[in-house]
Formats: sequence, structure tokens, C-alpha cells
Amino acid sequence: MSTISLHDTHNHDSHDDHGHHKETFLSKYVFSMDHKMIAKQFLITGIIMAVIAMGLSILFRIQLAWPDKSFPILETFLGEWAEGGRIKPDFYLALVTIHGTIMVFFVLTAGLSGTFSNLLIPLQIGARDMASPFLNMLSYWFFFSACVIMMSSFFIQTGPASAGWTIYPPLSALPTAIKGSGLGMTLWLISMVLFVASSLMGGINYVSTVLNMRTKGMDLWKMPLTIWAFFLTAILGILSFPVLVAGVVLLVFDRSFGTSFYLSDIVMGTQVLPNEGGSPILWQHLFWFLGHPEVYIVIMPALGISSEVISVNSRKPIFGYHAMIYSLIGITILSFIVWGHHMFVTGMNPLLGGVFMITTLIIAVPSAVKTFNYLATLWRGNIKFTPAMLFAIGLVSFFISGGLTGLFLGNASLDINLHDTYFVVAHFHLVMGSAAIFGMLAGVYHWYPKMFGRMMSNKLGYLHFWLTFICAYLVFFPLHFLGLDGVPRRYYAFTEFEFMQKWLTVNVFVTWAAIIGGLAQVAFLWNFFYSIFKGKKAPQNPWGANTLEWTAPVEHIHGNWPGEIPTVYRWPYDYSKPGAEQDFIPQTIPFSETMSSNMPHDFEGNAEAERIQKEWEDQRDADEKTKLD
Amino acid sequence: MVHSIKQQETGLDYRAKKFVMWLFVVSSTIMFGGWTSYYIVFSASKGKGHGLVLPELFIYSTAVLVLSSISLFLASRALKNQQFNAQKTFLCLTMVLGIVFGYLQVDAWSTMVKTGAVLMNNNAAISLIYIVSGFHILHIFAGICLVFNALMGAYKELPMEKRTYRMEIASIFWHFIDILWIYLYVFLLLNS
Ligand code: HEM
Ligand SMILES: [Cu+2]
Repeated sequence: MSTISLHDTHNHDSHDDHGHHKETFLSKYVFSMDHKMIAKQFLITGIIMAVIAMGLSILFRIQLAWPDKSFPILETFLGEWAEGGRIKPDFYLALVTIHGTIMVFFVLTAGLSGTFSNLLIPLQIGARDMASPFLNMLSYWFFFSACVIMMSSFFIQTGPASAGWTIYPPLSALPTAIKGSGLGMTLWLISMVLFVASSLMGGINYVSTVLNMRTKGMDLWKMPLTIWAFFLTAILGILSFPVLVAGVVLLVFDRSFGTSFYLSDIVMGTQVLPNEGGSPILWQHLFWFLGHPEVYIVIMPALGISSEVISVNSRKPIFGYHAMIYSLIGITILSFIVWGHHMFVTGMNPLLGGVFMITTLIIAVPSAVKTFNYLATLWRGNIKFTPAMLFAIGLVSFFISGGLTGLFLGNASLDINLHDTYFVVAHFHLVMGSAAIFGMLAGVYHWYPKMFGRMMSNKLGYLHFWLTFICAYLVFFPLHFLGLDGVPRRYYAFTEFEFMQKWLTVNVFVTWAAIIGGLAQVAFLWNFFYSIFKGKKAPQNPWGANTLEWTAPVEHIHGNWPGEIPTVYRWPYDYSKPGAEQDFIPQTIPFSETMSSNMPHDFEGNAEAERIQKEWEDQRDADEKTKLD
Repeated sequence: MVHSIKQQETGLDYRAKKFVMWLFVVSSTIMFGGWTSYYIVFSASKGKGHGLVLPELFIYSTAVLVLSSISLFLASRALKNQQFNAQKTFLCLTMVLGIVFGYLQVDAWSTMVKTGAVLMNNNAAISLIYIVSGFHILHIFAGICLVFNALMGAYKELPMEKRTYRMEIASIFWHFIDILWIYLYVFLLLNS
């Protein structure tokens, strides 16, 4: 029977792009079109990129803490970029740039959405695979090529791009301006175009899958919040990434074909450049029109994951399911009209600045709604402190402490002082760096059994959480004070400026916290890779969760479910429902099997169902009465 | 039973894939939207546009592109009425018209270059004409590939369902790039 149905599901999948074929090593592990395998590819690539980017950050933290000290070992590894054991200024800028680019785009966009949208969308909405498995495969390989090209810039003479992750022209537009604006910047641009293509292919697939391939009964308002978050994230990507491409194309033409889109009135050394009439501010508009939605592309999947993890592990329905969705929708829409808050000091018309200020402060409202809903879900819950749960709670903590400073920055009058200082660095490392990474880690711990069919070690998970949580605060919180004192970001040596020297001791402290936090990740890496092979075998539904993915067999099969796809009857958050036998009721259980726990609002006004329920209740009451008599 | 599930799901599959094409259309629109917004902000802040009389060739190329869209529409109709030969003819015609369009666009560029309105220009608005029309030609190239794909479907006598699917994908995209060009052209005419 099972072979027949397997064969059968395979047939469902065959279409234009691939026919019936035997799985070989290449088609199973490398050019796989199975969403579960692609999810793992994204995750492992994302983890590798995260480790690299973290390594880069340790390097520049060492420079910040001990600007005058020589570390001969650096020269051994970095050669002429660290001559005499000290990182060169050029290389320092390259490190910051590539660290930011990898973290924002490769880890928190592709690594996060790519992993969890791919894994969970088909499994949680009840589909056999993505709308186009072929595009999905291409999406991964474009991402992989983007990673390779970005890393290859470390192996060229002039080094990687160095103009910051936002690559503002004219610095980025003039190949001879600094070393990093040469070939390194070209590679950066090529890599990003591939990356955007990958994101678009992924995002388009996610949206189409969610809209068209839900199983029977899974209407939009029965979808888990994870799916809502991935869905809206994908829409955000589709609507904003093309604008980055438009901007990048113009930049490429400025660099290589002598146009003047962003250039005007530039003197290099003694040479006057012929370019005239362009404006670098226009790059900032195009960039931040993507850039701001991008920060929500990073956080929304993490928020979706936490909603699910927190609800499951509080054994309570998520508080304000609809409010959660409406705030996600609100964030999606509003995030397109706030980009100007990154540009308050560009000489923008104060009136326009005021408009951006208001929209920015409004976007804090749906963010706050989500935070309150998390807290309300936790409130008096029967909390199971799994590692995933700890990380989800960690996300809430970071989202609050980082979001608050967003309100400071959103006020134009304050931002004029704080812009481009360490205050901004502190803000976005808490709200984006830490919160989104914690959401991602929560997802990894929670769905690991689904991905690899095995369990991770809880003990190592706790160790990982506490060290990371404490170190993240120790690293990023002090940076606020540097910023308030006016210390600018991206400066190479604090010893060069008198007013910055007093912060050197803080820098040493922060660097030690960063190093310990970095080492803490070894606990995670060991746990992750060891458990793939040696972890305890995962049970069918390790966390007692309601969503569909836990009804699919632990052993992965192509097409996800043998036989028919399960039908969905209820929303995903029936936890600890009064009158129910267990403290969870999976989405696949029809109301007819849970007569004792049904509530009037479960039937959404279906008169027939209400009548049946009432009959059953009357019968029960009558029975009880006779028993009493 | 198994058969009906299968049909139902492959049907869904096609619907989802057609939707993929629609979403691609959306994101492509936004990319061009990015450029035209650049143009608007640029010309508003500098108080000048490209300031050219656009080459007459653009009128001809626009006409050719509209004809190609009509031809593709006729091909779809032919497929619906099971007139397979007519379908093939119209598909070929569409491709030819697409190539002619590309040729005319390049020709228009060379007239622009002759009048001195080159890509490397201190008026970014003029450079932008090359960018948008150039990226539009890339879309035409992709469109021709899709039309070719539909044509191959007709020659290989694939199942009707698949042929219709390829035809629809090609149509969505081709009509989109037709409208896109008209938008760009009108935009450039209005904002000189
Ligand atoms: C409560 C809502 C938020 C508000 C009001 C807010 C406001 C701001 C403002 C005004 C800036 C510009 C500061 C400057 O450069 O002078 C900024 C920077 C930034 N924000 Fe937020 N933010 C919020 C939430 C978030 C979230 C959720 C994320 C990401 C997950 C995020 C990521 C960033 C990043 C990456 C930057 C710095 C970009 C750079 O210059 O390199 N913010 N934020
Ligand atoms: Cu922003």
C-alpha cells in the first residue's frame, strides 16, 4: 500500500520541469527540488555564513579594543591586510561592510526565510511541495553562488567592498576612491544581483504556494501565524527588492560606463571628474526604499516563529490571533512609507522629515501590539522552558529593548544628534541582530526534529541560550552610551580622537563579551551537527503541537504525506481548551470528535453545526441528570 | 479516485505556476517603477528632463509590438478553437515581430547616438532612456523564449492541458511587456 501511494504522490508532482526519475545523490542532496531538502541547504549555508560573519566581527572588535597592540597571529592569517599584526584601516572597513552584508542579507534574509518558509509553508498549509519546485531549486543555487562570489572578494588583491553595507555613492561609485571600491565592489554588486534574483524566486514561490495550494479546510484565517508572517514577508520582498536592483543597475552604469546617475562635481586628488548632474541622495532613496522593508523582512519571520513557539510552549492559544495578523499587515504596508527616517540629515525638507517622523512613530504601534500579545500569551501560561521557548522569549526581550530606541531615532530632532553614532548600531543590533537571530534559533531548536528526524540536546541548548543572551546584552547595551556621547560608527581607532579615548575601556569589555558570546556558539554548532547523526530519534509530535507538519511522517518522503493530504477543521491554537481530553487538539481533528470542548464561536455561525452541538449538550445534561437521580 | 485527485492537484499546480508568472510581472513592474521614480525625482530637483525629441523609430517599434500582441492573442484563440496550424503560424509571427521590435529599438538608439544623446551623459535623464529601453529589450528576449516554448509545445503535440499552460504563460508575459513599453514610451514623451 505504502509503495503504491508513494509512487502516486510522486506522480502528482511530476510536471513540466521534471518527469518521473530515480533519485540519485545529485538529485537528492545537491540539485534537490524537494522543499525539505532545500530548507536544509539554506539553513546549513546560512549557518556557515553566520559563523564567517561572526568571525569577521571578532576581528574588528579586536581592533576596536586594542588599537595599538600587535597580534602577530593576525598577520599569519591575513597577510598584508594585517601587516605587523595590526588590522589596516582599509581592511577594517572591508570587515565591517562584509559583516553587515552577510548578516543582513545572507543570514537573516536567505538563511531565515529560505529555511523556514521552505520547510514550513508546504508542511503547515498541507501541500505536497512548492508551486514551482524548479524555481525553488534555482533560488537556492543563486543564493549559493551569491555567497561564493561575496566570499571570493577576500581572495583578490584589493580586498572586499568597503563602503558599508549600504554602499553609498560616491564612495562606492568611483572604483579608484578606495581600494575596496575596485574589484571588490564589483563582486559585491554581482553577488547582490544574484542574491536578489534568489530572493525573488523564493518569495514569488512562497506567495503563490500560500495562495493556491492550501489543503481542504485551510482557509486564510486558519493558517498558523508562521505562515502569515512568511507570506507577508515574501510580499514585502517582491515589492521592495526590485527597487534595489533598479538602484544597483544605475550604480553599475556609473561605475563602469561613465554615466552620472549619482555623481556630480567630484574632485579626486587633483583631477576633476567629468561626471555632472547626478545626485548621491537618489541612491539613498532607492536603497532605503528597499532597506527599510528589508529590516522587516528580517524580523517578521522571526516574529512568526516566536508566535508559534510561544503559544505551543505556553500551552495556551496565542493571544489576539487576529490582532497579530492585522499588525503584520499594518507593518507590511507602513514599512513602505518610512524609509526617510534613515535620511533625516540629508538636507531633506523639514516638512517631509516631519511626515516620515509621523509614519515612523505609527509603525511602532503594530510592533507594540505584537509585543503585548506575546506577553499576554505568556501570562499565566503552563510554560515549558524548552530551548526554543527560551530563545523565543529572548526575542521578545530584545524586540522591546531595541524597539524603544527606535522611537528615539524616529524623532528627527533627536536623530540629528544620534545619526551615524553607536546609538544606531546599538538600536539595530538589538532589534535586528539579536531579536531576529534569536527567532531563527528558536525555529531551529523547535523544528529540528522535523528537519532531521532527531532531537537536539536540551542541556547544550540551555548553555547556548544563557551565554548568548547575556553576552548579546553585554555587547550591545553599552554601545548606546557611546552613541549618546557622540561617538561615530565605523571609526577605525578610538585612540585618534581625544573625546573617544575614554571609551576604550568599554570597548575592551564589549570585545571580551563578544568573544565569549562567539565561543558560546560552539555549543550550538556541536549540538546541531552532532545531533544530525547521533541525536535521539524524534517522536512524531515532540512538543504536542497542533499544526499540520507534525502529522507528516518523521521519515521524509517526497510529497510529504503518504496517501491523501490531511484536511483541516480548526485553527492551530486550540491549546488547553476547557473540556478537552488533552491539552492540545491538532488542526486535523474535526469538531465532531471533540464535542465536550467545543465552544459556540468555533462554528462561526454555522447553524447546523450549532444545532448538533446543542443537541449533544442537551443529551449530556439529560444523562447527567438521570445519573444524579 | 486516484485519478481524480491527480487531476485536481495538477490543475492546482498549473494555477499556482501561472500565479508565479503574475508575481514576476509585479516585481518587474516595480523595478521599472524604481527607474521612473528616479526620473521623476531627478527631473523635479534639476528642473529638467531628457529634453529630446524621441526618435520616430520608437513610434514604429511601438506599432510593431502592439501587432505582435494581437498576433499572440490570435494564437491563443486558435489553440482554444483547436486550429493548431493557425496557432503555430501566429506564434511564429509573434516571434518575428518581437525580433523586428528589438531591431527597431537598437536602430532608435543609433539615431539617438548620432544626435549626440549618448548613454554616457551628464544628463542622467538621457542615460535613463537607454537603461529602461535596454532592460525592456532583455524582457523581450525572455518573452521570445517563452513564445518559443509554447511553439515547441505545439510541435511536440503535448497534452492539451500543458499546451494551454505554456500558451497562457507566454501570453501573460508578452502582453505585460507590450503594456510596459507603452507605459515607458508615454512616460518619456510626457516628461521630456
Ligand atoms: C519600533 C520601531 C522602529 C523604529 C521607530 C525604528 C527607527 C529607526 C530609525 C529612525 C533609524 C535611523 C537611525 C539613523 O540612521 O540615524 C533606524 C535604523 C535602523 N533600524 Fe530601526 N526602527 C524600528 C524598528 C526596527 C526593526 C524591527 C529593525 C530590524 C529588524 C530595525 C533595523 C534598523 C537598522 C538595520 C537600522 C540601521 C541602518 C543603518 O544605518 O545601517 N529597526 N531605525
Ligand atoms: Cu528603517
